[in-house]
Amino acid sequence: MALSKEVYKEFEAVVGEENICDDPVIMPAYYGTEFAAVILPGDTAEVQAVVRLCNRHKIIFRPICTGWTGMFPKGCVLLDLRRMNRIVEINEKNMYAVVEPYVISSELQAELFKRGLNFCIKGAGTNCSAMLRGHGHMDQTTSGDDRNHLAIEWVTPEGNIVRTGALGSADEWFCGDGPGPSLRSILTSAVPPGVTPGVFTKAAVKLYHWPGPAAYPIEGVSPHYQLSEIPPNMMARYYSFPSVEKMWQAELKIGEAEIAFELMGFNISMVAANITTSNEEEEETFKRLNAEVQGPGFFVIIAGNSAADFAYKKKVLEKIVSEADGRSLKAAEDPRIEGILMCQCTRISASIRETFRNGGAFNSIPIMGQRDLTIKWAIGAGKAKEPLIKKGYIVDDGGAFFGWGVEQGHLGKTEIFCKFDPQNAEAKAAVEGWQKQETERAFKESYFASTMGPQDEIGPALLNYHLWWSKLTKAIDPNGVSPEGGSLV
Amino acid sequence: MGLEQYQGDMEMCCRCSACKFIPMQKVKGSAFSYACPSIARYNFHAYSGGGRLNIGAAMLKNGFKYTDKLLDVVYNCQLCGACGVSCNYAMDMEVLQPITEFRLKCVADGKTNPALDKVIAGLRKTGSMVTARGKRGDWAAGLNLKDAAREKVDVLYHVGCLTSYDKDMQKLARAAVKILQKAGVNFGIAGNAETCCGGRAYQMGYEEDFLNQAKKNLAMIKKAGIKTLVTSCADGYQAFKVLYDKYNLKGDLEVLHISEYIARLIEEGKLKPRRKVNLSVTYHDPCRLGRLGEPWVHWEGKKVPGDRFVFDPPKEYRRGTKGVYEPPRDVLKAIPGLKLTEMTRIKEYSWCCGAGGGVNESNPDFALWTAQERIDEAVATGAEAIVSACPWCEKTLGEAVKESSSALKVYDIVELVEKAI
Repeated sequence: MALSKEVYKEFEAVVGEENICDDPVIMPAYYGTEFAAVILPGDTAEVQAVVRLCNRHKIIFRPICTGWTGMFPKGCVLLDLRRMNRIVEINEKNMYAVVEPYVISSELQAELFKRGLNFCIKGAGTNCSAMLRGHGHMDQTTSGDDRNHLAIEWVTPEGNIVRTGALGSADEWFCGDGPGPSLRSILTSAVPPGVTPGVFTKAAVKLYHWPGPAAYPIEGVSPHYQLSEIPPNMMARYYSFPSVEKMWQAELKIGEAEIAFELMGFNISMVAANITTSNEEEEETFKRLNAEVQGPGFFVIIAGNSAADFAYKKKVLEKIVSEADGRSLKAAEDPRIEGILMCQCTRISASIRETFRNGGAFNSIPIMGQRDLTIKWAIGAGKAKEPLIKKGYIVDDGGAFFGWGVEQGHLGKTEIFCKFDPQNAEAKAAVEGWQKQETERAFKESYFASTMGPQDEIGPALLNYHLWWSKLTKAIDPNGVSPEGGSLV
Repeated sequence: MGLEQYQGDMEMCCRCSACKFIPMQKVKGSAFSYACPSIARYNFHAYSGGGRLNIGAAMLKNGFKYTDKLLDVVYNCQLCGACGVSCNYAMDMEVLQPITEFRLKCVADGKTNPALDKVIAGLRKTGSMVTARGKRGDWAAGLNLKDAAREKVDVLYHVGCLTSYDKDMQKLARAAVKILQKAGVNFGIAGNAETCCGGRAYQMGYEEDFLNQAKKNLAMIKKAGIKTLVTSCADGYQAFKVLYDKYNLKGDLEVLHISEYIARLIEEGKLKPRRKVNLSVTYHDPCRLGRLGEPWVHWEGKKVPGDRFVFDPPKEYRRGTKGVYEPPRDVLKAIPGLKLTEMTRIKEYSWCCGAGGGVNESNPDFALWTAQERIDEAVATGAEAIVSACPWCEKTLGEAVKESSSALKVYDIVELVEKAI
């Protein structure tokens, strides 16, 4: 599967000797696939030149950012975008930031906090690319998904450079849809394959107001970080409710009152994962907290722009929670716990604890839609986890799901996952079976899950989008060098 | 021991890339956010902590195949442990240990680095990791120090190879003994009976040479009845305190870094820094005093079958939490007139000076590149000087300063204390 010496030299001439490697011995560092080569382009021009060479020689390529996940056909060239790590611009006046693919969310957010700004960090975590599309803990105030992508610089699968929205007409990044070409439906597909062919080389992301501190006052030594004080006019709480219905009603009212900076529908298992520093501690903490909560719940951060604003928001929050018979989790009222939860859930810096720490892997089903309906689906998916928990295949999280509203409205994301040891073949097969079964149920019950597929099965239920998508990909990728699937994390 | 025992840990890596950056809460912007010099310099994922683990796991599964590129990956790593600290904020898995075992295996399989072979040949011949010109104790001529190998002392001052033989670094030994004398400590040096701690040989992958050195040192210490050893070399500190213990050799020997000992002397009122040192400084945590100076945790157990990566008995991970971070800072704060400003990457997530893991010898350009990154970070604080607590750090940082024509001064902590007493 290796490149011929001549072709290798052509790629090498673009990126330089130091930035290409075809030694199969180091490929497992990336993934199990046999890559033809790994190439590290340094800028858009190099990406374009590499992509054009791929077209000339009919070589499949796939780009990655930090490289967490992805699907990679055997023999493809991997474009590791690591060298493209610049924050190009932070435009405070027009509230957008332009980043290259390897700027991670943590870096951008830290720069934004200094300026009283923030952006949507995806639930995957702050260690992922800032240009990643998706949803996150702060969706209440930062929205989510493709709402946050403004203008994009895109190297098409053929190697043309397309600049969308305002960038295409006025060399400005403030809008993704005009004046200039809007390719939103192609570039930020929510349905499978979910990934745009070609390579995003720069993207503008929308910025939002940040009422918190320029930097959190963190003290202690890893992994025992704490805040030396809770920042002024901020508060974090976890509330549990006697029923799903009451929780949902409270979530809705909080959204309508527009008082929450963040409302993250954590289950108590995820709270336990967040606040503990080892698996053993987490297991013990989960049992303890699970005994304290009265039912499902959510985590809320209130952030006031002034003391009066904070007092108002707090009062409204307490009223709504009280009317829904909600109960505050005592452990989370401890400033040491409150502080680190607040920090981790705005910096999105503990997603790995929530997902990978227990067994090394998790399989998830995320569902978008009306929150009360998707929660009903998730309850069924949770019950379907119970046999796996009993057999010891997956971590006992009480069969719980999680989720949150987006833009303080009814729309939201609901997600459920199984955490397991991927080296246990039986557990792996059982989890994959659960994921397939519950995704199929979601499809039958007319919910949309991003795990659905293949396209020719779900396409007929979605206006035959797959036929259009097939035509589009043939048009923009005539040589078939930019395959579908995977993600750009 | 052996790579095999870490198979489960290596398979736990989820390629999240946290190992490339300082702990996410601590990221303060786009500058100085990287933790690992190797991936920062060479960019391919193979050079990261996670990449190394995934290669190790694949090789255990599919067999070992050494190529030039693989050996380039293996030896272009300072084994500084920053990857492990960042990973272990969230994950329960060993990171640095399997990376170290991989290197030990390379050496055991004869896949060595020629530059390191040369250093080890010198060690076998002279007992030193640096070129030995003259005798080891020559620096102490005229100082009338006790010979700890023959005379009864409370404290053995272990000088270390670089400080003993490098004419530019011998000032650190003279400063250290002046401080100990001023505090009235009954101490001695082993002089020509001192030999290399073996720590750097271990970092380079030469386990047997490390063990030989450890045994020689401990035999001398036992014979002399030494109870407390103080060293001003971070590599020596880690070797005596952590590595010897890892191999069950240390016994009840008390091992202290000079900064810990000075902090203790100040606290006990035996040492009083009175003279003003009007200088604004920033402190560089040596890796092997800081995160890698954390005591070894002896543990044996088995994975509990099931859904979680947990063990019976429970495993306590060394996450860099218990390194030596405060004593050097306490000492600096005790010096009148001195102003300490912190860099972005400090304590458990400090950036390496570049010298560790044999990189200083096998790839001096990379060592210098790494040090230059640190100098840039120090300059960004506005400090006049960068202070460290290890001769290897001072040497490498000093070379980077010279190379860049920076006005930044480089000191070891003992030099500043010497000025203050």
